[in-house]
Amino acid sequence: MAIVSVCRGTRSGGQAFAECLADQLGYPVVGREILQAAASDLGVSEAGLTQQFERAPRRWDRQTATRRVYVVGLQAALAEHVAAGNLVYHGLAGQFLLRGLPAVLRTRLVAPLAARVRVLVEHEGMTPDAAERHIREVDAGRARWVKMMYGEHIEDPALYDVVINLATMSIDAACALTAATLEQPEFAVTDERRATLENFRLACRVKRALVIDPDTRGLPLEAVAHAGVVEVSGSAPLLSTGETGDRIAEISRAVSGVKQVRLRLEWFDPYP
Amino acid sequence: MAIIAISRGTMSGGLAVAECLADRLGYPCVGREVLQAAATTLGASEETVRRKLQTPPGPWDLMTRERHAYVVAVQAALAARCVQGRLVYHGLAGQLLLRDVPGVLRVRLIAPLAMRVQAVLSRHARTSPSAAERFIRSVDRQRRRWVRRLYDVDINDTSLYELTINLESLTLDTACVMIGELARQPHYEVTAETRTRLEAFAAECDRRVAEVIGQRPGGRAAENGA
Repeated sequence: MAIVSVCRGTRSGGQAFAECLADQLGYPVVGREILQAAASDLGVSEAGLTQQFERAPRRWDRQTATRRVYVVGLQAALAEHVAAGNLVYHGLAGQFLLRGLPAVLRTRLVAPLAARVRVLVEHEGMTPDAAERHIREVDAGRARWVKMMYGEHIEDPALYDVVINLATMSIDAACALTAATLEQPEFAVTDERRATLENFRLACRVKRALVIDPDTRGLPLEAVAHAGVVEVSGSAPLLSTGETGDRIAEISRAVSGVKQVRLRLEWFDPYP
Repeated sequence: MAIIAISRGTMSGGLAVAECLADRLGYPCVGREVLQAAATTLGASEETVRRKLQTPPGPWDLMTRERHAYVVAVQAALAARCVQGRLVYHGLAGQLLLRDVPGVLRVRLIAPLAMRVQAVLSRHARTSPSAAERFIRSVDRQRRRWVRRLYDVDINDTSLYELTINLESLTLDTACVMIGELARQPHYEVTAETRTRLEAFAAECDRRVAEVIGQRPGGRAAENGA
């Protein structure tokens, strides 16, 4: 049982690597499907959602926490696949969306710029100059996004368990290497690991419900789950009606699999 | 057969991985032996050679190319051990000293600072955590500057290595399995052609050592030098 997240620059061979690995291990492979599921959940277009992950947040986005809504939506869509235990994910931001989970191998692929340019020239008919510009723009946008959302540098090797350089290594070799890694004890099936993944899915479902509902959409809320008990934390406005807490609890309780809800909210005055 | 160069920050578990790998593959494992051989060649102490390969060159080094002599001597000592075509090298700057050699499997190991501080403390019980952290940061900074000055690259650039392994989440055994698996791939196999190139590389290194020794004041070298 293992989950492999594949992070890479555009046109670095990530999809081919993910498909090779999934084929070898007999795991499902997902990438774009997660975006489609998240976009459908949130009622936005897939292109609009992709843009939210490929371009750095603007000032207004950061103030309104719009991006957070999309991150929660994407994470929840991914969590549905992750809970089954076996998965190769080659979509956006896997190293962050799956952070802290057991049995996840966070890989990053790097490839020389010349090889990436060649892919675009051969497959998309772009000129070498246009291809290079495109690659640099996409890479820079993703790097800015990661910096602003997580305060990290996307190329920092500490964000990954392994960084694989495809300059001299073939996709097949990278695939065999990764498959051998997944046979190690860190990735063995245990009941505890299964339970952790199940808890992750439930917490993500609650967070998704809270960002979808108009009453709680703008609130910076977090959720953790343990055996059906969900604890929601974060800050919420202290309204004279006293309804906010009740509403958060109500939305959370309505999520399938939730047995009990505990609130650990910090209240703030919305009209200071 | 393959040649594997392991690069890592100080106290990052590199030695343990190198030994595990050498044991697994049945290859010789060398690190400081290369420095000792270079020291013998130049008639210098091992400590001097180590310092020359860790601390960034100063103005004197740049003017006299003194540092160059040490780098060449270490490279020659390493090249001599590569000729056999099977080696695990965990010493300084392997990824750069062997960058002109085809098929070398270059690996970088990284570990979080806290883990490395713990490694220092377990080896030197009387050291404080803050002193251990200062030591690690200082060595890292010097190596980074050394690599920048001599090769104009960033030591942490993942494109310098085939594989970068993070020991925060992966065990030493897993790292050993990963590198061992990769070493079996055809690209890193030392073929007859590679061996010919290795011999040419070693001969060229020896020629350069003889040249730099000849250029030093008095042509100073040990009796058994190049």
